[in-house]
Amino acid sequence: MTLLSNKRLSSIAELDAQRKELLSSRAPSTKSVYVCTGPGCAAKGSPKLYELFREAVSQANVDVEIRAKAVGCHGLCEYGPIVIIEPGDIFYQRVEEPDVAEIFRETVLGGRLVDRLLYEHPATGEKLDTVDKIPFYQVQQRVALAYNGLIDPTEITDYITEGGYSALAKVLSSMTAEEVVSEVEAAGLRGRGGGGFPTARKWRSCREAEGSPKYVICNGDEGDPGAFMDRAIMEGNPHSVIEGMLIGAYAIGSSDGYIYVRNEYPLSVERLKLAIEQAKELGLIGENILGSSFSFDIRINRGGGAFVCGESTALMASLEGRPGEPRAKYVHTVESGLWEKPTNLNNVETWTNVPAIINRGGEWFAGIGTEKSKGTKVFSLVGKVVNTGLVEVPMGITLRQIIDEIGGGIPDGKRFKAVQTGGPSGGCIPAEHLDARVDFDELTKLGSMMGSGGMIVMDEDTCMVRVAKYFTDFLQKESCGKCTPCREGLAQMLYILDRITDGEGQVGDVERLEGLAELMEGTALCALGKTAANPVISTIRYFRDEYDAHIKEKHCPAKECRGLFRYEIDADACKSCGICLQNCPAEAITGEKKVPYVIDQEKCTLCGTCWEKCPFAAVLKV
Amino acid sequence: MPTVTIDGCKVTVKKDETILDAARKAGIWIPTLCYHPAVPSDASCRLCMVELDRGDWRQLVTSCNYPVRRDIVVYVSSERAEAARRGVMELLLARAPESGELKALAERMGVYETRYPNVTESQRNCILCGLCVSVCEQIIGKAAIGFAGRGVDRAVAAPFRQPSEDCIGCGACAAICPVGTIKIRIHADEQEVEISPFKSRAKLLVCEQCGALVASKQVSEQALTRSNLNSEEFRASLRLCPKCRRLQTAGQLGAATFYKK
Repeated sequence: MTLLSNKRLSSIAELDAQRKELLSSRAPSTKSVYVCTGPGCAAKGSPKLYELFREAVSQANVDVEIRAKAVGCHGLCEYGPIVIIEPGDIFYQRVEEPDVAEIFRETVLGGRLVDRLLYEHPATGEKLDTVDKIPFYQVQQRVALAYNGLIDPTEITDYITEGGYSALAKVLSSMTAEEVVSEVEAAGLRGRGGGGFPTARKWRSCREAEGSPKYVICNGDEGDPGAFMDRAIMEGNPHSVIEGMLIGAYAIGSSDGYIYVRNEYPLSVERLKLAIEQAKELGLIGENILGSSFSFDIRINRGGGAFVCGESTALMASLEGRPGEPRAKYVHTVESGLWEKPTNLNNVETWTNVPAIINRGGEWFAGIGTEKSKGTKVFSLVGKVVNTGLVEVPMGITLRQIIDEIGGGIPDGKRFKAVQTGGPSGGCIPAEHLDARVDFDELTKLGSMMGSGGMIVMDEDTCMVRVAKYFTDFLQKESCGKCTPCREGLAQMLYILDRITDGEGQVGDVERLEGLAELMEGTALCALGKTAANPVISTIRYFRDEYDAHIKEKHCPAKECRGLFRYEIDADACKSCGICLQNCPAEAITGEKKVPYVIDQEKCTLCGTCWEKCPFAAVLKV
Repeated sequence: MPTVTIDGCKVTVKKDETILDAARKAGIWIPTLCYHPAVPSDASCRLCMVELDRGDWRQLVTSCNYPVRRDIVVYVSSERAEAARRGVMELLLARAPESGELKALAERMGVYETRYPNVTESQRNCILCGLCVSVCEQIIGKAAIGFAGRGVDRAVAAPFRQPSEDCIGCGACAAICPVGTIKIRIHADEQEVEISPFKSRAKLLVCEQCGALVASKQVSEQALTRSNLNSEEFRASLRLCPKCRRLQTAGQLGAATFYKK
């Protein structure tokens, strides 16, 4: 969609006029093909699909206007690449290059469905043609991701058409700074980056802090393994982040903003850069925005890939050009942050929620969620779950609903064991707490946390000691090493965990881990160090028996720790085919035709080759 | 002026002075390692933890950099504060088991052994407190050393772990090191000073009179520019070692007195 004369909008009236013009220029008969180019679909080759659709559009010799759009994440990444056709809201999944011509011919031009590309209901097998019929979407409520998958993130006009920057216009034309803060306060918005600190309180403290200039920062240093919420927002709807920052800056009294994006997100950087450029051209960023006295500029800063830079003070040190290490927050960053000036830092998802709150009112936002956790939260649902992807749910929904109804349960008929929330510093929640409500305080009570919204589902084959070891190892590698408890404590913990998973655990190791955990929680310098023991503590709390089995019985109940279980051949299932015998590198398997084979435990090196090679699943882990 | 109540003992401090300042005023000992009045507190060693009364809960804070802004109540010898300090000390002892200075401080705190094995050693006997890095950059103005690596691989090193050309061989890092890990080595035959373990070397000035080794050339230059005594006369006096300089001055004074007679 073109139009915009690239002219600077010098008043709110001009922005409204622009939007009206955009809306009226959209022919009612327009057909659209939305190709998801979010992180998951893009990895499966969706940008190529988009090119093919564009080619098809340009070659189509028809009267109707057809648009092919590359849009942000739709969420159901497991079934990507996803293509949606309008009108009709037709949902096609796992689209491949050869399917493009058929979709274009049948659906776009012919208005007929391509059955085999429709989503199949996992229980009934029924083919579901539209987005709203798919169970994955039925429980969700999209606020932060509302326009993800609908707008082309590279076109500011798309955002404006959908009402973008109207919240900014509203703020500039009819609200005082205090009114903006009050609205956010009424919404009950809490920081989505992990801490859950009330956003309005932070804004107000920063506004009231002495010193100038004041800085506004967007934290896009999403570093949790398996998390891609912020990335999907930055890449799918960058203008919503910018608009949120503009409103925040207006409320705080800042004219300088930074977006700190991790270097591993090149596309996020590109999209944000383009968005800033486009917003600048229209005068939505810069001096005297929309003819008002409010001026604001945004710069992008790329991180160097350090997890600890998600911690606000480390991020600010990094922005200043110093090593990304945290400092004590006895004096808050709203008072003395970036370059020792009052600084307000919020996470990508927090900023994205702001325009919606201004447009629809704090009361509306506060109507979603629980008493102390308002609104929605985006989670990246990954691990042993059928529908991996990005989901946005109202606060207060149960973990069970997310995993079973949205996630579609555990694949391969396995049993659910635990869900890890809150990123590396979060904790593992077991089956008995699946009915817990997802909100900031409830998750903390369970020994985990909301974090930035990672959610890793684990099934019965997952060894919880190994899970604790994985996250401890991750944190040890990502610790900046500045303070003693985090640097030394994590190394000591890892030493003990290694010993346990190697079958050399000693009685008292669990207590040693608990002692270290308590020490780190009390004495570490930053939040990363203070919470670094959470994976260990929460797994001890709920899966103590697994630790004991490793230590006392030298047995790994999930049969994941090498050396802590045996391979045996199930005599009933063995067909005496000889494949295991041929492949065993240790010559530990004996047998002959028509007699079940046997593994000599003395010779077996536990390499697992027989288990992998057996076509009849007759090799068992015991 | 805010009042700090430490273990029941009241002491008044200036706004933004630290809990440690208050404790020192009150004569209450809090062990410290990475604290030094010459440089700003980094609070990296976490040894000076005390408990701060927050009304309905108590928070462990580092006393060396917690600024006092209002009346507060602090516990230095509460069970939790002591356990925290001891725990941190045990981790440090595991890291730097050979430091006599660290052992002595531990014993003063009542910690006679550590329950942890030695599992981290990117730099032998260094507790990574960062005082050497701070003093080199902020007091000497050189930044010849800095932190390299992160996490357990963190180490204090000159760039690329090579001898640094920026090092002037002043030895401030060795002087400030609380665990005696940094040492000054004099190589008499080469007339050089070496800062160990960084392997940085600097040529030493030799006394024109007696041949004794004095400070490095760069140190004397630095001292001259800093002290506003950069006169030709003063410069000339630096050709001698302090002992010969005293003898020379004494001689000159003697001669002068004799002349007056």
